Amino acid sequence: MGGIVLIDPKQEADLIYARLAKLFTAQWHCRYRVDVVNDQYGQTFNFFMNIQRQRHRARSIPLHTLRTTDLEILEQVVNALRQQTQLSLNFVNFGRVRWPESQRWIH
Amino acid sequence: MDYRNEPHGLFFMIDNKSFYASVESAARGLNPLRSVIVVMSEADNTGSGLVLAASPMAKKLFGISNVSRQYEVPDDPRILVVPPRMNLYIQENLKINKIFREYVADHDLFPYSIDESILDMTKSWRLFGRTPEEVARRIQLRIRHEMGLYTTVGIGENPVQAKLALDLQAKHDHELIGRLTYETVPQKIWPITKLESVWSIGHRTAAHLQRLGIHSMRDLASVNPYELQAEMGVIGGQLFALAWGIDRSQLHQLRPAKEKSWSNSQVLPRDYRAQPEIELVIREIAQQTTSRMRHHHQQAGCVSLGIGFARTGEAGDGRSGFHHSCRLDPTDNVQTIAATLLRLFRQHWEGQAIRNISVGLSRLNTSRGLQLDIFQDPHRQIKDERFDRVIDELRDKFGKTAVIPASSLMPGGTMLRRAALVGGHNGGNSFD
Repeated sequence: MGGIVLIDPKQEADLIYARLAKLFTAQWHCRYRVDVVNDQYGQTFNFFMNIQRQRHRARSIPLHTLRTTDLEILEQVVNALRQQTQLSLNFVNFGRVRWPESQRWIH
Repeated sequence: MDYRNEPHGLFFMIDNKSFYASVESAARGLNPLRSVIVVMSEADNTGSGLVLAASPMAKKLFGISNVSRQYEVPDDPRILVVPPRMNLYIQENLKINKIFREYVADHDLFPYSIDESILDMTKSWRLFGRTPEEVARRIQLRIRHEMGLYTTVGIGENPVQAKLALDLQAKHDHELIGRLTYETVPQKIWPITKLESVWSIGHRTAAHLQRLGIHSMRDLASVNPYELQAEMGVIGGQLFALAWGIDRSQLHQLRPAKEKSWSNSQVLPRDYRAQPEIELVIREIAQQTTSRMRHHHQQAGCVSLGIGFARTGEAGDGRSGFHHSCRLDPTDNVQTIAATLLRLFRQHWEGQAIRNISVGLSRLNTSRGLQLDIFQDPHRQIKDERFDRVIDELRDKFGKTAVIPASSLMPGGTMLRRAALVGGHNGGNSFD
């Protein structure tokens, strides 16, 4: 989208972690998950915290938006985030694609 | 009815289907028509939570409507609850209107609300298709492909027909397109007996019409317009025109309101009973309203205060609140305005619990410097004036909460918590 946007993966991951840490209260019978969405319309990667208590409504709270479509940057952010949290990441709408660096499937 | 002299144009009224919920669905990679999403505001003053929007599926499966309360939403794992992001919706609305501008000239586009726009296609529709329906379809697909959102289109020969076609036909149509013309109004509109479903008829107007023996749009179309006007005033004439699908408004010549005014209101997070707490909020709203007015270099000659009682606090005589105004020498000084409001409040308040406060400033004129009052110390007055300006500048530069009165930290103050809200709801994450 024109112009060079500098994204510091570490800083982005820190921001995401700071927001999710506030939401992660480790309750019983509750599933916590981070949704990473490939938003083709907005040309962004969106992060959400998905919280599902057993037999209750699910909640999805926006954590952050990466204004890029570059998978390499996303990979770095995700790697930095994985060093801070063990929560499972759920990748949405990526299709069958490999990470550019590690060459593993995105899933 | 002779329609020859009525305006014959081509208007589209385009609305986003469950706008907030659809934007949130698209951002999560979900299909807006299949997802079960509820956008719930949990701002302080919404009580347990208020549904701002529900996706079509949530409406269908669980009967959730907008402005449902949190406790009315079933606790079902299939439902996904998300917080609102008002700033995001504003951005998306701007993007959509940008797309519309490719189909009409700038001055033929009239945004009507956060998710509705009127397009005057009279001059340009032939460039984009053989029939108006084809053009509408084209715009729908464009928005679906570029933004992932579904739109509903009402087509009419004038704005009111487009609006009626949108509300009454398009929303139930498989293709999400509805069309009205002068010829089809009797066939499509007159059978309607649920008068509130028609745009501009609220439940009070509907009840009034019922009392007059008008139970359907056909009845409305066949009354004597002069009698209706005598009974209901100007609105009577307008309703009669509505029943015939007539709308003579010229959108290009929209007249500005005769007298502009500034006002702010808020619903309090709980019932307020203590005088200091109520007065604190009145002062905060006065601040906010005055500062908006000052940005437009205006002074107010009249202030008004509206108070809504809590449901438990209704006055003995059944009043649900009061509204009073008071003239004063034109001023833009917060202290003066707040003092006047507090005087009004003390005069009329009799200890009821309060849930709603509004402040209005009217009889505006442009401020041309400071008019000194000979009964007060001039240095004091000049200093007050400068003080206000400095505060305004600080807030413009560093945000609304850069400087706040210490009183806003006292119990009952709402300003700090509301500063981050947009239209009273969560604006979304910062630094996004």
